[in-house]
Amino acid sequence: MNFDKDTNRMEEALKNAFRRREAPEGFADRVLSRVTERSSDKPMVLRHQSWLRLFSQPLVRWAAATGVCAALVAGGIYYRNVQREHAEGEAAKQQLVLALRIAGSKLQLAKSKVQQVNADHIPADQTESQEEKE
Amino acid sequence: MKKTVGWLALLAFTVVARAQDIKIPPDVERLSAKAKETVEVTMDGPMLRWASKFLSADDPEEKKCAQLVANLKGIYVRSFEFDDENAYTPAEVDALRSQMRGPGWSRVVGVRSQNQDNVDVFFKLENDKMAGIVVIAAEPKELTFVSIVGPLDVDQLADLGGEFGIPKLDAKSLSKTQKGDHK
Repeated sequence: MNFDKDTNRMEEALKNAFRRREAPEGFADRVLSRVTERSSDKPMVLRHQSWLRLFSQPLVRWAAATGVCAALVAGGIYYRNVQREHAEGEAAKQQLVLALRIAGSKLQLAKSKVQQVNADHIPADQTESQEEKE
Repeated sequence: MKKTVGWLALLAFTVVARAQDIKIPPDVERLSAKAKETVEVTMDGPMLRWASKFLSADDPEEKKCAQLVANLKGIYVRSFEFDDENAYTPAEVDALRSQMRGPGWSRVVGVRSQNQDNVDVFFKLENDKMAGIVVIAAEPKELTFVSIVGPLDVDQLADLGGEFGIPKLDAKSLSKTQKGDHK
């Protein structure tokens, strides 16, 4: 008797458990959106993994490190050369300006001397012409 | 072998040809040993071009300077400042002046004063165009030699007028200066 009762209860429980229930509202949409999210993430992760897998090889790691070091050194040398060239150019410009200043000052000296000579001669010329008139 | 000799001859010719433009006598170069202060500027064509690249286009003075320098072949300056008078001899100055006795050169200014402030300005003309200017200023304690080589015209010089204190030179003043040769 007890055995029958127990089977009936079990049957009831199973029936309850397997009873058809309607899914909550929006359940299907939520499930679909999660599925699409996961499907889009997965290849990216895989891609990253495959790209990073290259560096698992020591030779590639060394090559990459050497490349970065070489690029840094080349960049440093280039920057230093540019700086040196600029400094040399500025020095050359200063020399050029100095040369023009010296040339200018000496031309100024020549001009002032000539003006002085002309000024000394003009009164003498004027007096000579006045004497001729007389 | 013949090729090497040919190249050497060409090189020697180039050196001589360039030296003909500007040749400072060794005696004058040696004055730097006696001088209190020496300024030596030697800038040939490529150097001028390069230096002029660093002249600012925003600065009107430097812009004009760059325009002038663009046509020049060289700028050479030797300036010696001495502690005492008579540190150089008239022969040394004559050696400098003698460089401009060749064809094409004409002295447009020659001032000799009693206080030993002597100034000479020479122009080199090629096809009636200015091809160079040399200024020799012999002062009691200072000797300056300036040579600007290249196609210069009076307008370009006049443009330099306000810049760096270089005076404006016009045809009228030049004709007067020749008359005013004061010895």
